Amino acid sequence: MSNPLDDPDDDWWNTPVHRRESVWLGLAGAWSLGIFSWMAGFTQFGDQNPIGTTYDVDPDEYQDRVGEYKEAAEETDDGLIPPEDDVYVGAMRFNWDGLPVVLEAGREYDIHLGAYDVQHGFSVRPEENLNKQINLQVFPGSEWVIPMTFDEPGTYHVVCNEFCGQGHRTMHGRFTVVEG
Amino acid sequence: MSAIASLFRNDYGADGFRTCSVTGLEVHRSVENYVKLFGLTAVIALAVGGSFAFSVAMTRWEFVGLIDPSSYYTHLSIHAWNLLIFWMVFMEVAVLYVGGPMVLGRKLPLRKLAGVGYVTMLAGAIGVNASIWLAEAPNEAPLLTAYVPLPVSPWFYGTAVLFLLGATIAALPFFATIWTETRDSSRTLPLVAFGAFIAGIVAVEAILGGIAAFSYALAWRIDLIASVDPGIYRQLYWIVGHGTQQINLLAMITVWYFLTHVVGGAVVISEKVSRTAFILYLFFINLGAAHHLLVDPGMSAGWRIWNTSYAFYGAAFASMIHAFAIPAGIEAGRRRRGQGGGLFGWLTSAPWKNPVFASTIFSIILFGFLGGITGVVMGQVQVNMTWHNTLATVGHFHATVALGTTLAFFGLVLFVIKTMFRRDFISDTLASAIPYAYGAAMSVATLMLMYAGILYGVPRRTAEVVRNIPGSEFSFSAAIPIFMIFGVFALLAILSGVLFVGVSVGSLLFGDRLPVGDDGGMLPEGGLHADGGEPIHAVELRGTFALCLIFLGVFAAVYVLNWYLLTQLWSIGA
Repeated sequence: MSNPLDDPDDDWWNTPVHRRESVWLGLAGAWSLGIFSWMAGFTQFGDQNPIGTTYDVDPDEYQDRVGEYKEAAEETDDGLIPPEDDVYVGAMRFNWDGLPVVLEAGREYDIHLGAYDVQHGFSVRPEENLNKQINLQVFPGSEWVIPMTFDEPGTYHVVCNEFCGQGHRTMHGRFTVVEG
Repeated sequence: MSAIASLFRNDYGADGFRTCSVTGLEVHRSVENYVKLFGLTAVIALAVGGSFAFSVAMTRWEFVGLIDPSSYYTHLSIHAWNLLIFWMVFMEVAVLYVGGPMVLGRKLPLRKLAGVGYVTMLAGAIGVNASIWLAEAPNEAPLLTAYVPLPVSPWFYGTAVLFLLGATIAALPFFATIWTETRDSSRTLPLVAFGAFIAGIVAVEAILGGIAAFSYALAWRIDLIASVDPGIYRQLYWIVGHGTQQINLLAMITVWYFLTHVVGGAVVISEKVSRTAFILYLFFINLGAAHHLLVDPGMSAGWRIWNTSYAFYGAAFASMIHAFAIPAGIEAGRRRRGQGGGLFGWLTSAPWKNPVFASTIFSIILFGFLGGITGVVMGQVQVNMTWHNTLATVGHFHATVALGTTLAFFGLVLFVIKTMFRRDFISDTLASAIPYAYGAAMSVATLMLMYAGILYGVPRRTAEVVRNIPGSEFSFSAAIPIFMIFGVFALLAILSGVLFVGVSVGSLLFGDRLPVGDDGGMLPEGGLHADGGEPIHAVELRGTFALCLIFLGVFAAVYVLNWYLLTQLWSIGA
């Protein structure tokens, strides 16, 4: 047994490891591999993965694309009804362009996330249950397409959770999910 | 001035060395004075950053709502840079000088470089603070990250690079010491020196990433390049953003081995296992930078899974090794001295009134249970969707840095006051209270941040959202009770920090000088090297084993709970 302030004995590498430490190494190693396998496996069998397709896009071009989408969408009091399965969201200081939007429960949409100016945080939760929430990073130059299927009708609130300037806290948007 | 000069005075022999009455180390004046200089500067950064903790916490506690959004982000930036970077890195240079030349009983080589490094770091730190404080529109407060293309003052990026360059220069005398010690010999360095060496390498990796990130942003801000890619900046930035926190981790663990030995009588139960854990850190810990990019566009799933797991959790495994090895070292050391029977007698009979010991142990426990577990859980790619940029993340890094590293460094500063400044505490009672008061208050505040983030989805980096989101009927008002608890305990934690600074500065200025040879109450019962003579396999380690099983149980419970919450969500992703 040695102390941490002196050079160890010459045969320090061959000193046997205490039995309980060996058992702990086994437990810790098994746990490490276990949580790795679960995380990797969940991308195959799980329903909640932050995985989509990313395209490089000029911020102005993305803004134009969101504009075209808004033209094609139907306007209602609760927000836009997307023409097809694609939903475009453009983050800008201090607004979510393309929101509010009305979606159908149980239908899979491709949510397109991009920003026009600086980095933003796309943070969504249903009004009734704040602990159900997800957060995705959005930045200019990338268009991230992530499929989502909202299974419960209701109002979903979007806030920005990446600092984007003085008015950051006012950046709020909405999804209204109705029965399909 | 003479009061300050007297802080740097000790009874050295003609060769400039003295023998430490606590550790028995041969300490040279040159090393000791630089350790004091960097340590004192760190405490000043702590005091500055800690003062801004008050305005930040009292703003997030919207019941008080202290300052406007127009100044909140400035205060938040100063809080972050002084505590996460300056308090830590100045201390870490001191830790390198202790772990290298002091433990090895050498003079500090390349002393001029140490001085140049210090001055450069100081200029950088002052510059960063000034650039944050004086920023004018359209420039925004940088927060810790200064994410492009949000406009941030070029002075900020420039002075941040200056600070990092200074830290690299200041580390050179440490590397020179290790080089001279090992170049012509097959000697195996003491574990503390080895740990400091690995911390030093990880630090240089982190710093190079930081210099690259901030130089890239600076080049864009001063129009050397026309555009800047936010994704590339984020990758470069997080090499230093997360890397600095890995320096904290390694420095802290090195301090754990050091202090549990010196004030708690701990031994090293297996040089092989503990050193292997440091080697795992060397290879894998910096992959953890990917933790910040898990919900970014553009990264492949494979890239994220490999990096976030530090390659099959190689670095998490290393931390779990230390989680056993350090308490087991205390248990073995104390059992061999016959101090404490039963399952936990070795622990309950330990010197809990010694604030150095208590700080170290609370640092180990709270870092592990609150910081380590949450770090691994939130670092799982999918769970990260529910943690990213919420207050739960802030809770996590307050558990690692404000509880783990800061408590360990509190212990180290108090130890240095006794052993290097040779001052008695102005009040033993107040000194003993520091780790208890700070550990308890900061733990509750930290847990409330986690609850607010994970159970209510309250975002970080915002001046107000809980009671009111301007222009919207929506708010996070359900979380108000959590913030009532948070606010009170954040205040108590800040007061405990004031207590630490007060006792430290008070002892330096007004504490009695310890007589030569006096151990200042630092040594464990029976002295530093009580010889029980038993080999390690003859000593029972069942107390530590039981503690580690509890740890694994809590880990599993937190893991399952987080995954349960995640699977309750709507379907997301391909």
